[in-house]
Amino acid sequence: MSRVVLRRLASGLGTLFLVTVLVFLLIRLSAGDPLTVGPDEPGIRRLSAETRAELARFYHLDQPLHRQYLLWLGDAVRGDLGISLRDRRPVSAKIGERVGITLALNMVSLALTVLLAVPLGAAAALRPGSRLDRLAAAGTYALYAIPVFWAALLLQILFAVHLDWLPLAGLHSDGSRALGPLARLADQAAHMVLPVICLTYGGLAYVSRFVRATLIDNAAGDELRAARARGLSEWSALIRHGFRQASIPLLTLAGFLLPALVGGSVIVETIFSIPGLGKLFVDAAFQRDLPVMLGLTLLSGAATLLGIVFADVAYAVADPRVRRE
Amino acid sequence: MALLGVLCLVALVAPLLATELPWLSRGEAGLTSPALRRWAGLETTGGGTRLLSAPVAHDPAALDLQAVLSAPSPANWLGTDVLGRDMAARLIHGSRVSLSVGLLSALFALVLGIPLGAWAGYRGGWADAAVSRTIETALCFPTLLIALMLLAAAPSWLAGISDVLRVALVLGVTGWVPVARYLRGEFIKLKRSDMVTAARALGVGHGRIMVRHILPCSLAPVLVTAAFAVGAAIAVEAALSFLGLGVRPPVSTWGGLLADAQEHVDRAWWLALFPGMALFLAVLGCNVLGEGVRDLLDPRHRG
Repeated sequence: MSRVVLRRLASGLGTLFLVTVLVFLLIRLSAGDPLTVGPDEPGIRRLSAETRAELARFYHLDQPLHRQYLLWLGDAVRGDLGISLRDRRPVSAKIGERVGITLALNMVSLALTVLLAVPLGAAAALRPGSRLDRLAAAGTYALYAIPVFWAALLLQILFAVHLDWLPLAGLHSDGSRALGPLARLADQAAHMVLPVICLTYGGLAYVSRFVRATLIDNAAGDELRAARARGLSEWSALIRHGFRQASIPLLTLAGFLLPALVGGSVIVETIFSIPGLGKLFVDAAFQRDLPVMLGLTLLSGAATLLGIVFADVAYAVADPRVRRE
Repeated sequence: MALLGVLCLVALVAPLLATELPWLSRGEAGLTSPALRRWAGLETTGGGTRLLSAPVAHDPAALDLQAVLSAPSPANWLGTDVLGRDMAARLIHGSRVSLSVGLLSALFALVLGIPLGAWAGYRGGWADAAVSRTIETALCFPTLLIALMLLAAAPSWLAGISDVLRVALVLGVTGWVPVARYLRGEFIKLKRSDMVTAARALGVGHGRIMVRHILPCSLAPVLVTAAFAVGAAIAVEAALSFLGLGVRPPVSTWGGLLADAQEHVDRAWWLALFPGMALFLAVLGCNVLGEGVRDLLDPRHRG
């Protein structure tokens, strides 16, 4: 592999390390330790001093901070993210049972965003300044400003309460277990419609404008001019040549959309009572369940970082000019 | 942009716009304005005949259990909530929180981000590497997640200050990243300019160059970032208040109003429509302001 790619991976690892340190410090220094905060705290206070010392040793609290960090990191790398303070179950188990739901929601909305925004941006790029272009710009712009929870509430009021077309919240209707697999799937899909809409509309503005700008920038390129001179229609010239050049920057979008999706998940899952990672995080925040918050933040940070590094590496692999640096 | 100006004005005079106290009343001492007196922090004495009322003549905290969850009507322009409080009054008072958090957090972000970005861009080398690594690290985390965590696990000294200040601090700490990133780029670009070379040749020190020469050129575009930062901060603050970890009741916040609306989503649509509309307009106003300033400064970005 070229030196640039290796260097990028190395710096990515460095950042990952920083991420873990930051996450650890955030929780530990701001809140203290599992003994002084958390739902068990009143009970712990009543224990004898010896028992408290035992607990402190169990949570490695008697060690200096950097050793605690290393111990925690060692466990985390092996998949042990600690025990939830709330119900004594391993954090990784709690995350594991919900990651599928959140992933499903986010992947669907990511796909939907790309499917909707890319053609929109391309159409706008084809006729810059036209009515379609300005309408698309204004429309997506306005959509971007709508707060997610407001949109969610309004959609709920309209579709679930007044029109009764879609369910209000949750992932399954009561009694859905009695239905056949196909009906159950349809029921689950119906439950996913509103949450997915909420997760999708915000990204439309960014992606479509990005596609439009990239295509326009590339449209002035020599390749396109040559293609047009050869007699290709405007549209096919744009698609065939513009997109090939534009696909590379499009990859970097992934790195930026991911944090937004994670943040959006938190709100959407809370409003629609979907048992995913976002709701887990909010519940943990309210219950001061530090291990769960720590594990989730680490996971989200690592995943986003991986996405960014992957996008950069893909960029370097695809574009030889970057590699030559 | 006019929207934002209106919003600022409303936030500032909220206690005047929406209060039970009359604007003008005639008492024993002649004409007084109890509302004005309360806004200025002076004592108000009851009594006297009411001559002129505020446009929204309700107190945001006044309960009216006879008129619980009533739809918009001439008596309550935007309806009432589950405790009979007038929604219009709560909405107007909520603007204070949103705006103060938005502006304060943008200020904190600027105070943090400008020096860091300038130093990284100008110095280069390890300083740049360190700051860039930090920026990249911070970019991995969505603002909401970090803000939630910081607010949930806030140390005791942070819990003592007012809600608004705490949220603004947390948002500032998470918001400095775009500012620093942008400024770093600008400083890298301008570092090579003729102007700086000339200044160095004349013997001007590094610090002076940074502050007196490069900074004024790069500051104007930073305002664009700041405008967007205010909009983003307003949105995140509302989300935090919605989830219950931001500014807490009884202070009315737009996010908090929407959270209340959630419980009555089947009965009272007006609880959800208006606070959200206010939020939408505020964020839109900030974004429009940012884009407007950007277009003003850089003709390339137009269209």
